[in-house]
Amino acid sequence: MTTWPFQENLIDRLSTQIEVLQDGFCRLPKTATLKDLVSQFAVVVRDLFPATNLDLFHMPERSERWEKIVESGTVGIAERLVLPQGKTASVCTLHESSNSICIAQRLVDKSYVGIVLSQKQAENRYSDVDALALRLFVYLLENAYQELLYRRNEKEMIFSLNHRVLQLNSLIDTGIEVARLDQSTSPQQLALERAASLTNAAGGLVRVTHGEQLVEEIHFPGGAPLENKSNSPSQIATKFSFAGNTYTFELYDKESRLGVQPFEETDQLLLDALARQVHASLENRYLLKQALEKQKIEQDIAVAATIQQKILPGTLPRIGGYDIAGTNIPSITVGGDYYDCIPLSDGRFVLIVADVAGKGVSAGLLVSSLHAYLNAYLERPISLVDLAQRLNRVINRASTDEKFITAFIALLTPETGQVESLNAGHNPAYWLRRDNTVEELSTGGIAFAMLEMDFQYQVQHVTMEPGDRLLLYTDGITEATNTENVQYDRHAPLAMFFASHKPDKAETFINDLIADIREFTGNAPQSDDITALYLLRH
Amino acid sequence: MEQQFSLTSEIQDNCLVIATSGYVNNVGGEAIAEEFNRHFENGIKQVVVNLAGSKVVNSIGMSFLIEIIEKLNEVDGKLVFTNLDPTVEKMLTIMGIFKFAGKEATVENGVKSFARQT
Repeated sequence: MTTWPFQENLIDRLSTQIEVLQDGFCRLPKTATLKDLVSQFAVVVRDLFPATNLDLFHMPERSERWEKIVESGTVGIAERLVLPQGKTASVCTLHESSNSICIAQRLVDKSYVGIVLSQKQAENRYSDVDALALRLFVYLLENAYQELLYRRNEKEMIFSLNHRVLQLNSLIDTGIEVARLDQSTSPQQLALERAASLTNAAGGLVRVTHGEQLVEEIHFPGGAPLENKSNSPSQIATKFSFAGNTYTFELYDKESRLGVQPFEETDQLLLDALARQVHASLENRYLLKQALEKQKIEQDIAVAATIQQKILPGTLPRIGGYDIAGTNIPSITVGGDYYDCIPLSDGRFVLIVADVAGKGVSAGLLVSSLHAYLNAYLERPISLVDLAQRLNRVINRASTDEKFITAFIALLTPETGQVESLNAGHNPAYWLRRDNTVEELSTGGIAFAMLEMDFQYQVQHVTMEPGDRLLLYTDGITEATNTENVQYDRHAPLAMFFASHKPDKAETFINDLIADIREFTGNAPQSDDITALYLLRH
Repeated sequence: MEQQFSLTSEIQDNCLVIATSGYVNNVGGEAIAEEFNRHFENGIKQVVVNLAGSKVVNSIGMSFLIEIIEKLNEVDGKLVFTNLDPTVEKMLTIMGIFKFAGKEATVENGVKSFARQT
């Protein structure tokens, strides 16, 4: 192979500079920035050309100005650099004069680096070999810069991938955290913090409004008030409505190392997802609150039911020469029916069956009032009419407009069988005589608390002979409905059942009556309280 | 709610301790880097960053912290994070920060960790 003298000179030159070349290979790839790289390159070039002035420049884009990185102090040196033309063919221009070499090298990112070597002694000259050697070192610089960019891109890619993993992880974590119902931080505040962090927003806010009214406004970061960012070109927002409130999430000024930039599509997706998590959390909190309230109400109802069960007689008093039995089956936990048999100090007994309009706790409270007032008034001798009038007044005061109580009250003198009765708007009681005739006891007046006025009640007198029976009941029996929506009393009148079932024991009658009603209603739900009181004179 | 950023710094046993408060974002990260550079130029190679007052960090703030870690690693120095909120700790873990930086429960432990190394 033929070797030209020129080549031999170049090989000789490079051979003498082999250490400089090796040093360049070591130094340049370790740099992290272009500035570092060019500075290290300057060290290598100075080793290669010790007695020379060196100027190094960088031009980020064509048509911009050269930026000085290493300068010798020579004025106007950058003007000697000529940019290479074309896109790929010419990436470098090399201008040589008697005592200077200028190289403008296009780099992989389409920026340019400019190198000017000039002799310190005007009489010194650069050779062609010098120019070629420098050219080779510029290639080394170009390759090192390419490697630097690869490393930087790889680092950015790893950072970006890690950040995506972080975003997904944080989205899951935030979902779990905002779903926690025991935390002191509001879910919207937590979501705002996470949204700002994950999207690199400089700040943001959550605004809760009810119509035009501002309910709550949370700023991030807190402390100094946020300047008005409504016109910021870099902002995203999302909103949802819940329980009459509108929750608006806004993020401002997506940060980068180069300044504020527009938010990305994924930022909007993240904000939407976090807002949806808050929405779900608020719904869950609302449902939990409702469930707790319901639980509390059920507990209160259970307490009320217990109290009411204590109001109703566990066992009825024994009445010599008579047999008495009663029952109360509430349709819901707390019923509005009431019955009792109260012995008086003079040996007589008061029998009562009452029904409060409506059911539930409010009806139960009125039953309690009736029980308390009734027992209080019966502590002393009192006529049935007086008792009814007093009950009418006090129940009227204790109840709301739509509440009233119907009642049948009977005053029994056991020895004589005399019964004085008063029917306050209640179903008529049935009196069954030994001759199997049934008489309705209806005399009385209006239901208690039906009208806000004193009412002149009337009483009825009958005498129970041995074998006679008395049945007091509420409309829960007569109006018990089967699955075909037919009422018990329409199907087979209660009076007929009363007349046709005459067991020796009062309790047997009650049990038979309930069984008959159950058989009639079948699977139909019990629509009203069922109460009955049965008195048999032996 | 996370407040506006502020920091304090002190030297303990030839170790720079920076305590932050508030959102570590571009502003916060830059402030930390400036404080670090000021001491780095004077030869400080051991840094403790106490993030007790910072519950929220974004990736721009984190990029400043990474730069500090890289600079320290180039001169065989080290950065140790302390008093990390669990969320921030998880964030730094996912970003791979603890491959190049340490973490300790307290500033005292952070400063002591350098003594153990030397």
